[in-house]
Amino acid sequence: MMPSGDQRWEILEKVGAYAANELEGEEAREVERLMFERPDYRRLAESYTRMLVMLNTLGNEPVEVPDDAVGYAVRRAYVSAFMRSAEVLIRDLGRSYLDAFVYYLGLRRESYGGGI
Amino acid sequence: MAIRASRGDVGAFRHLVREHSGLVYRVALRILGIQDAQDASQEAWIRAWRNIENFRGDSAFSTWLYRITVNTCLSVRRKESRRREREYSGDELPFLPEPRGGDADPEAASLGAQRREELLGALDHVRAEHRAALVLRHMEGLSYAEIAQILEVPDGTAKGWVSRGRAAMLVALARDENDHRETTT
Repeated sequence: MMPSGDQRWEILEKVGAYAANELEGEEAREVERLMFERPDYRRLAESYTRMLVMLNTLGNEPVEVPDDAVGYAVRRAYVSAFMRSAEVLIRDLGRSYLDAFVYYLGLRRESYGGGI
Repeated sequence: MAIRASRGDVGAFRHLVREHSGLVYRVALRILGIQDAQDASQEAWIRAWRNIENFRGDSAFSTWLYRITVNTCLSVRRKESRRREREYSGDELPFLPEPRGGDADPEAASLGAQRREELLGALDHVRAEHRAALVLRHMEGLSYAEIAQILEVPDGTAKGWVSRGRAAMLVALARDENDHRETTT
């Protein structure tokens, strides 16, 4: 009897897992039995193996990284770090001026040793 | 170095960028293709810098970086209109033709330009999450535990995504091969 569409997809995934050496024990035995009974499943496993070898080969090929992909991010990091420092400096400076102004107007008494 | 960068040391961050730029660009290239890889890897590094203060060293820096890169690539993909995934009717099994030189001519040695294009074209027909899982498993050689950590899903889901990606890729590749053969004969 021909398997249904869902069953076929299930077999497709199972044979793929077998070709990727990801099945063990009873599951592996089941796929081996299927491949023994059906030459087209055996051919399917061979196709998977071929595809996985090609994917692995492609994954191992050296990739040349364009300079822009690296330089831009580093420049942005420097700019953002500079802006962060400038922000801290301006904030601290502003606070100091405000404190001095408040003191000048006599709105706050000078503190000694942490107490008022 | 990552801990130093997380404290705002830009020099340390620059060192990390130089050291890991291959990883980020390679993953972006495999998931998105050449036209979007550069922009995505720039974006991934910008996100890495923005979030590096949250890096505590609980996982390897490369795992953390893989996660940022994959998430960036997936968000690029989500912005695009849904890509056409090759449907599998289940009527016939997807087969790849035998290599011309038989088993003595393993395709492992090197991939021709055409074969590379066919592979990347077929990858393009795999759903983004499944494609990311497939790339991490079969091109980056990561374990399912690592893939699950990167994609922030349970191990079983990572396994399922790789499995579905693998099947969808074979269907697309076999169909491309058949289409190619029909047009050349």
